[in-house]
Amino acid sequence: MSVVEIEGLKKSYRVYQKNEGLLASVKGLFHRTYKEVEAVKGIDLKVEQGEFVAFLGPNGAGKTTTLKLLSGVIHPSGGTARVMGYVPWKREHAYRRRFALVMGQKNQLWWDLPAQESFRLHQQIYRIDAKDFDRTRDELTELLQVRALLGRPVRELSLGERMKMELIAALLHSPEVLFLDEPTIGLDVVAQHNIQQFLRHYQEVRQITILLTSHYMKDVAALCRRAVIIAQGQIMYDGSLAGIVDRFSGHKVVTLAFADDEAPDLSHFGTVVESHTPKIKLRVDRPKVAEMLATVLRDHVVSDVSVEDPPLEEVIADMFQSAEASLATNKS
Amino acid sequence: MHPNYFAVFREFARNSLVREMTFRGNFLLDCVSSLSWVFMQLGLYLVIFEHTDQLGSGTGWGRWPFFVFLATTLFVNSLVQFFFMTNMEELSDLIRTGNLDFALLKPIDTQFLLSLRKFEWSSLANVVFAAILLAVSLGHLEFRPTPLQGVLYVVFILCGVALLYSLMIALGSVSVWLGRNESLYDFWFYITNFSRYPMEIYEGPFGTPLRLAFTFAVPILLVANVPARLLAWPFESQDWRLAGYAFVASLVALVASRKLFYKALAAYRSASS
Repeated sequence: MSVVEIEGLKKSYRVYQKNEGLLASVKGLFHRTYKEVEAVKGIDLKVEQGEFVAFLGPNGAGKTTTLKLLSGVIHPSGGTARVMGYVPWKREHAYRRRFALVMGQKNQLWWDLPAQESFRLHQQIYRIDAKDFDRTRDELTELLQVRALLGRPVRELSLGERMKMELIAALLHSPEVLFLDEPTIGLDVVAQHNIQQFLRHYQEVRQITILLTSHYMKDVAALCRRAVIIAQGQIMYDGSLAGIVDRFSGHKVVTLAFADDEAPDLSHFGTVVESHTPKIKLRVDRPKVAEMLATVLRDHVVSDVSVEDPPLEEVIADMFQSAEASLATNKS
Repeated sequence: MHPNYFAVFREFARNSLVREMTFRGNFLLDCVSSLSWVFMQLGLYLVIFEHTDQLGSGTGWGRWPFFVFLATTLFVNSLVQFFFMTNMEELSDLIRTGNLDFALLKPIDTQFLLSLRKFEWSSLANVVFAAILLAVSLGHLEFRPTPLQGVLYVVFILCGVALLYSLMIALGSVSVWLGRNESLYDFWFYITNFSRYPMEIYEGPFGTPLRLAFTFAVPILLVANVPARLLAWPFESQDWRLAGYAFVASLVALVASRKLFYKALAAYRSASS
């Protein structure tokens, strides 16, 4: 049985359509127009035990809403979901004891107190045995290198340190399923890397199931083998990370360096991305790559050549843009 | 396995105390400001009793019985403030900002978690003041309450706390549907103003409707009136009826407000990240 099983899950909100200006605001006191916004439009998904799945999509795609539905924070408008056999929005204690949700933009620790005080509170709420609590806390603080910061008030911690403490708070009860909503948002490169390393290690050792949303492709590439792309509340892709490029990118990036400082005009083969004589970088449609290389190698002296897939970030950004454009077209 | 509610409660109390001690200047200011308010109240009634023997003719609320009443009001309000006020004030914000999400993840009763997270330790200064005022006032009364009345006094103080808490949590729950509910504290203050006086003064064309409304519709007049009567003078048969009603009303209020709270949680829509 899959750990996460979602069928036809929907969530829509009724949103007040406010017009601009004072007169419209006064009118709104007596008569309001509402619009139904479908944040999640009937998605199906299965996640197996021990998977680390990336949940990708542009802002407003429905990623966070899906995680909140799976955490039981909000109720769905339709469809079903089961996590470890539990219906999340029934909010059973038995379920709540077995999963955790970490949100990069919100914090659950007591702001004015050292994180260790919040940890102790978690110990009581989750009824964690004192020895288990000490062992888990020590292990997590060692791994995340924040042991010396346990006694410092949360408000005095940096964003990265705070996120590490949030992660510890979420993991103290050893959840079997972890939902991570943009855990590295706003962090510098070093802090991002530390958290990635930690999550990879923790998941490998504990074999827990993790669903991660992130806008940083480095997070995704470092941690997940499977990616689910959601846009406009629907799943557009569910498969391997590598498969995204194969499926959604119609071009390759060809870089050529010419031997005798020449800079031939190659724009008829594709879009020139960079040109610094004697180096040229082009975006070329996949079917044309072989023909282009044969022609260039025949007519010019080439000192170096590379043919690469476009970066994952670029492919996904293009995909999101086309999804948003199609949404705008549908609206109009 | 159920959470150990007592241990969690103790942790809440401890964390709140540590937090208040961290900002000791603010803590002292809070104590001074709430005590000043109490002293002003007491001063005002001392002035009033310079001009009259009792509040309302034939009501029986002379100077010392009324100070028993005042001490009782202080007890109830300070206890409500100590346990619930900060949490209820924050509830509306938690709902609006979506920070309620975290409370819904915890394997513990959500109402318990949200109602008792933070204690306002400075309001204990008022509890101490109320205890002194009660002891002094009782010393001046000719009537001596029995031990049973003493026990019942505590029970009905708790009923008063339950009534006011139920009103608060019901008002806080409404925030889920309103989206924003900044007048919660103001409304609370206005409505509890009525509970600070003996119910006998609500007579006449304006007073009677108020007395009926605040006894049967929103029974806040029972909050201080029932326990204060237990100590201020011999309990009579009509007082027992009122006490019985207060007990039932506080149970009904607790159950009804809990239902409303959970209905609100089911309608909670969080906020965008």
